[in-house]
Amino acid sequence: MKKILLACSSGMSTSLLVNKMIQAAKDQGIEAEIWAVGQSQVPAEIEKADIILFGPQMRFLKKKFEGKAKELNIPIDSIAPVLYGRCDGAGVLKTALDLIDKNGAK
Amino acid sequence: MSFFEKIEEPLMSVGEKLNNNKILQILRDSFMLAFPLTIFGSITLIIANFPFLSDLIGAEAAGTLNALLGPASTATMSIATVFLCIGIGYYFSKDKGCDPIFGGAIALAAFILVTPMEVLHVTEEGTELIISNVLDINRLGAKGMFVGMIGSFLAAALYCWTTKKNWTIKMPDSVPPAVSKSFTALIPACLTLTVFLVIRIAFEFTPWTNIHDFIYEVVQAPLTSLGSTLGATLVAIFAVQLLWFCGLHGQIIVNSVLDPIWNALTLENLTAFQAGTEIPNIVTKQFIEIFTVGIGGSGMTLAAVLILAFICKHKQLRQVGRLALPAGCFNVNEPVIYGLPVVLNPTIVIPWIVAPIINVCIVYFAMASGLVPLTTGVTVPWTTPIFLSGMLATNSIMGGVIQLVELAVVFVCWLPFLKSMDKQLLKDYPEETQSA
Repeated sequence: MKKILLACSSGMSTSLLVNKMIQAAKDQGIEAEIWAVGQSQVPAEIEKADIILFGPQMRFLKKKFEGKAKELNIPIDSIAPVLYGRCDGAGVLKTALDLIDKNGAK
Repeated sequence: MSFFEKIEEPLMSVGEKLNNNKILQILRDSFMLAFPLTIFGSITLIIANFPFLSDLIGAEAAGTLNALLGPASTATMSIATVFLCIGIGYYFSKDKGCDPIFGGAIALAAFILVTPMEVLHVTEEGTELIISNVLDINRLGAKGMFVGMIGSFLAAALYCWTTKKNWTIKMPDSVPPAVSKSFTALIPACLTLTVFLVIRIAFEFTPWTNIHDFIYEVVQAPLTSLGSTLGATLVAIFAVQLLWFCGLHGQIIVNSVLDPIWNALTLENLTAFQAGTEIPNIVTKQFIEIFTVGIGGSGMTLAAVLILAFICKHKQLRQVGRLALPAGCFNVNEPVIYGLPVVLNPTIVIPWIVAPIINVCIVYFAMASGLVPLTTGVTVPWTTPIFLSGMLATNSIMGGVIQLVELAVVFVCWLPFLKSMDKQLLKDYPEETQSA
């Protein structure tokens, strides 16, 4: 079970992507828990996640939570603008899984 | 293009500094604390002041309804500063690793401690009466907002600082944790509140007689009157658009600085609306949210999305438009910002920046001339669709009508640019054409 956390200002636009990612995961038979939160909930939710990805408009959050992510040993990144604009659930899912794998291989 | 790439880096660092700034972040979370409460208050206020209500059910019945529902908004929106104080105390202490609930309680007590506890009442005959042992609701809301903010940060900082100094009473291990916890806060609470008591007493000897009037006159009134000017609003809107153009969340960054001012202006309007007196401010939080963001999201892109979905011929643009339309109706527009894209796209930079500026001027002058009523201070979530949100925010159909005017302005501004983008794409990638 991969736990993927998305975050933006209020979790509004990332939640658009969450539905598409859940659909993509279902289609590919991947077991994943994917959810979106606003930036104020990140400190509480990050503990439950295997990876955290930010909406590109809030990419400065990466700097803020980098330390915490390192401590939890989970990957942290912002979503590629092109994937975000297309609401490309499969694409972001792949990015997330690749990052989790890469992190696990270390 | 390269110019924008050059300014992206400094804008990014400004965005990071403002959004990730501790104080501004605590303030933002604290404003959010009262959000569900103000929505409740807003709903009751909208029902009680429904347009044409007195024609419908008679003036007397409308008056009764108003009196019955009134306390709901008084207990939530009118005393917004109370929640702000609790929020600041709580989140500040939490961030410093001190017991947050005590931080919230101490901040609230500190605020009340510097609040005048008597009200001057002028009777109908003109005699002045001083009523003691009462708190003026207005000081717990609009008028006290800046004292509340400044005071709560000070109180929470003092509380955390004294706690960290370990000037606490240590209990033996056999004492139940809840008991020893209440003693841990004892010395910090006493010290913090002593400081505020001294502040209160000291201000008795000034011309203002209390810190409320001092902060209001020296800090709040100048800041809010500056923040409510058209010039300041246009600068803010320009900054929002520029930040989004670089792919950064413009509102979040600009709001971190301006929310205290806009929220204070909103509360002033609300107080006037509840009292039935003339509403003072054109620019408020709702002016910004409902009449800029409310036209399809940041940059008012609903009209642009409609053009993309139904007028453009290139498949890619149509897809972006159709994907962005459902969310765009609720003013979420990241799909168009990153999908078109708007970000760093020189083709559409002109309408992107110009349309919102024109629209802010239109709404400002429509309100200044009395054509459109001012925002009542009622909280309307920014995700409320166009027309409905404008009506709710102004308590008048004209609020919705002016939003449609804005939509038309955006449409006209964007059309030539999107058409030329469409044409260019059709020329470069003709195979992706879809018949209209």
